[in-house]
Amino acid sequence: MKLVRAGFGNNNVDTCARVCHSPTGYGLSKTFGTSAGTQDFKSVAKTDVIMIIGANPTDGHPVFASRMKKRLRAGAKLIVIDPRRIDMVKSPHVAASHHLALRPGTNVAVLNAMAHVIVTEGLIDESFVRERCDLVDFEMWARAIAEERNSPEAMEPYTGVAAQDLREAARLYATGGAAAIYYGLGVTEHSQGSTTVMAMANLAMATGNIGRDGVGVNPLRGQNNVQGSCDMGSFPHEFSGYRHVSDDSTRQMFESLWNRPLSNEQGLRIPNMIDEAIGGGFKGLYVQGEDIAQSDPDTQHITAGLRAMECVVIQDIFLNETAKYAHVFLPGSSFLEKDGTFTNAERRISRVRKVMEPLSGKSEWQATIDLSNALGYPMSYSHPSEIMDEIARLTPTFAGVSYEKIEQLGSVQWPCNDKAPTGTPIMHVDRFVRGLGKFMMTEYVPTEEKTGARFPLILTTGRILSQYNVGAQTRRTENSVWHDEDVLEIHPFDAENRGVKTGDLVALQSRTGEISLRAEVSERMQPGVVYTTFHHAKTGANVITTDFSDWATNCPEYKVTAVQVRRTNQYSDWQERNAREDIELRRIAPRFATAAE
Amino acid sequence: MSLIKELDYGTPIRLSEDEVTLTIDGVGVSVPAGTSVMAAAMSMGTKIPKLCATDMLEPFGSCRMCLVEIEGRRGTPASCTTPAENGMIVRTQSDKLARLRKGVMELYISDHPLDCLTCSANGDCELQDMAGVVGLRDVRYGKEVANHFETDSPLALPVDTSNPYFQYDPAKCIVCNRCVRACEEVQGTFALTIEGRGFDSRVSAAGVSFLDSDCVSCGACVQACPTATLMEKTVVEHGQPEHSTVTTCAYCGVGCSFKAEMQGDKVVRMVPYKGGQANEGHSCVKGRFAWGYATHKDRITKPMIRETITDPWREVSWEEAINRAASEFKRIQNDYGREAVGAITS
Repeated sequence: MKLVRAGFGNNNVDTCARVCHSPTGYGLSKTFGTSAGTQDFKSVAKTDVIMIIGANPTDGHPVFASRMKKRLRAGAKLIVIDPRRIDMVKSPHVAASHHLALRPGTNVAVLNAMAHVIVTEGLIDESFVRERCDLVDFEMWARAIAEERNSPEAMEPYTGVAAQDLREAARLYATGGAAAIYYGLGVTEHSQGSTTVMAMANLAMATGNIGRDGVGVNPLRGQNNVQGSCDMGSFPHEFSGYRHVSDDSTRQMFESLWNRPLSNEQGLRIPNMIDEAIGGGFKGLYVQGEDIAQSDPDTQHITAGLRAMECVVIQDIFLNETAKYAHVFLPGSSFLEKDGTFTNAERRISRVRKVMEPLSGKSEWQATIDLSNALGYPMSYSHPSEIMDEIARLTPTFAGVSYEKIEQLGSVQWPCNDKAPTGTPIMHVDRFVRGLGKFMMTEYVPTEEKTGARFPLILTTGRILSQYNVGAQTRRTENSVWHDEDVLEIHPFDAENRGVKTGDLVALQSRTGEISLRAEVSERMQPGVVYTTFHHAKTGANVITTDFSDWATNCPEYKVTAVQVRRTNQYSDWQERNAREDIELRRIAPRFATAAE
Repeated sequence: MSLIKELDYGTPIRLSEDEVTLTIDGVGVSVPAGTSVMAAAMSMGTKIPKLCATDMLEPFGSCRMCLVEIEGRRGTPASCTTPAENGMIVRTQSDKLARLRKGVMELYISDHPLDCLTCSANGDCELQDMAGVVGLRDVRYGKEVANHFETDSPLALPVDTSNPYFQYDPAKCIVCNRCVRACEEVQGTFALTIEGRGFDSRVSAAGVSFLDSDCVSCGACVQACPTATLMEKTVVEHGQPEHSTVTTCAYCGVGCSFKAEMQGDKVVRMVPYKGGQANEGHSCVKGRFAWGYATHKDRITKPMIRETITDPWREVSWEEAINRAASEFKRIQNDYGREAVGAITS
């Protein structure tokens, strides 16, 4: 962020959280006052009711899933809200009391209906709401949510969830003891992603499930340091510690330490950058460790944007998909070659220690500094710990963080400052960070992405255990034994209608594109919904996904795409073109030995 | 740098407001109520011999190595399954205990190969350590009957190398159940079981190969194994690591702590770190095993530039690459305005 804000002199910096948990930042900051989860992982050992929404912990966050399962085996109850029958629904010695298999895109409807039950059946924790929350907002919210149109019965035609089952799940959440919500990208990657986050926060406040062990609202963050990246002001509108760029006093503090005037206008988000590039106004991009040509939605739109740019600089360990459209490649370091910190989903800052020298001969932070210096904005640090010291000086929630303290304590959970010198495992204990908890209105608005005669099925995407995100790392390990291609999971009913058997090549088509992949007929799916992963570049799952995104944060609506599936015997035009370009745009000139060598 | 060895209390740490005070080998010690005699002893630095106990798992009491004498109690109870109580007087060492432990160890070794020098666990084997501790010098049993370790024995089973990252060698199994319990208690997958009864019993991935089983390759069983029965293939190939560094996994947002165990600047294995507050000694297939990409042949280690995306890349110096990027960004801002450039971080 420093390179962009001070070196480029604008606020055009964004992060991969745009496409994953940006709605978490928005939703939790509106309701509670912080852009992060409320608990530490250990808290789950004190939970009586675990509610998992749009997350698949045994595949995406397996080590935490093991902790959950341990608690469930000891007697805690489980509610799963997910269109698919994920492993947590039923696995050895773990079974969900309720699996609300909703239609993708109806999270808000389901959560509103749960809130309706809690409000109308008198299950509100009144003393908590009275003492801790803004009552005017609460009254307004409770009145709206109590209206009949939000009842489980009224919502059933949209959600596909049986009203009785939903009522029982809501009662269990409200009255089953300490109840904790854990959620993933099945919440955020929707046109109403931010609304869903706020709806969960409302539920937690209404039932008093916040501010102590065993409760809370917890995003399972996707990446090692995506929380850290958000904390450190990688968003176009925020400095480190989630302070808006238009806030004069914060900006002036940065300006005086950085010795540069800084822009007070929000910069471009990733989708804005791509749109502007296609429009001709955005020409240069520096991408650190991110592969937008594979990970971001509507691949053909992304690559058109990249092609329209005049200088794309990639810093990565591999020649990834985005690098096919780049002009400068700066070799990056793997985690084994890095010195620094990663901040996890529980706000825990842990040290990453270098165990081998960077293969490129230069640390990534050093390369960024060199680039800044060459741009004419000098930076000088001799060690990453000095960068942390500067962060602590500029960021109130990090004021007490230093490498020395992390060494001493093993790790530190922010906020860490004079008020919490050893960090904060659980947030909002005596009061919310924003003061009073704020109930937000969460009207259910169906997505614009509609199924119809041409595209009758809904595609939703996700990850599996053995592969990781775009697969740049795991595809280059023996993990491919378990998953060497993306497959399309399809319910037997939909498969039979189309004459599709497991192993058949099928064409998957949406309004944005078409790809071919192998089918796997699976009862895990509900009729009308198909599922695939996005681990393999050659499959191109994101050729299918659309430009629709969260209304507040532009987080893409990966989880709902109207599609059609049919048998085919060939790969799609995009896949064939992409395979050609894999070779054409990745050539490296042979290197001739110079006289000096 | 040296290899980071973590203390093993033998049974899980118990938290309690109440304390109990007991005497072990003549020394008083106070521990939280619910703590085992074994862990209480360890808290004062006394290591009671053990094979089936480890503090990642609930006590099991099967190996009979951790026997102690407690005043006022009959026999020699297992210290792992006996909770510490107020006023207890415990002896961890006596001639009788030494004789019992040595006898038990002799039985274990009678069905275990004596190939320690060429074994992949050499130097990091609890069975080897315990044989040393009890002073076993001679094995009288097992010569007349079939065993599990001689390749021509009717009881011999093949090594299962189906999993890409670790192998299972039944010949070295002492049936301590630690792997089975780790799969259940730590990971929660219940993929492993003990097949057969009595002397015939062996660990099994429910009758199929590890690769074909429900195993999710989290590595908890490998971590729990006190012998070379379940062993990382990288250790089999390269040998024991000689130094380690604690670091944080690069995959998901759980942020597990790992010890990168090394030989020189080469990673031999990644081992979950018990002191890691996010993972408390557990791992998954990605962090534990899928780190080989770091030195994959596809790694690009030289800066490169090109004029257009259809040109081949040209390797250049760091200076040239950085200067190209900077001058292009400056030119673009000059031609199209300050807002025409930006950055994406991960």
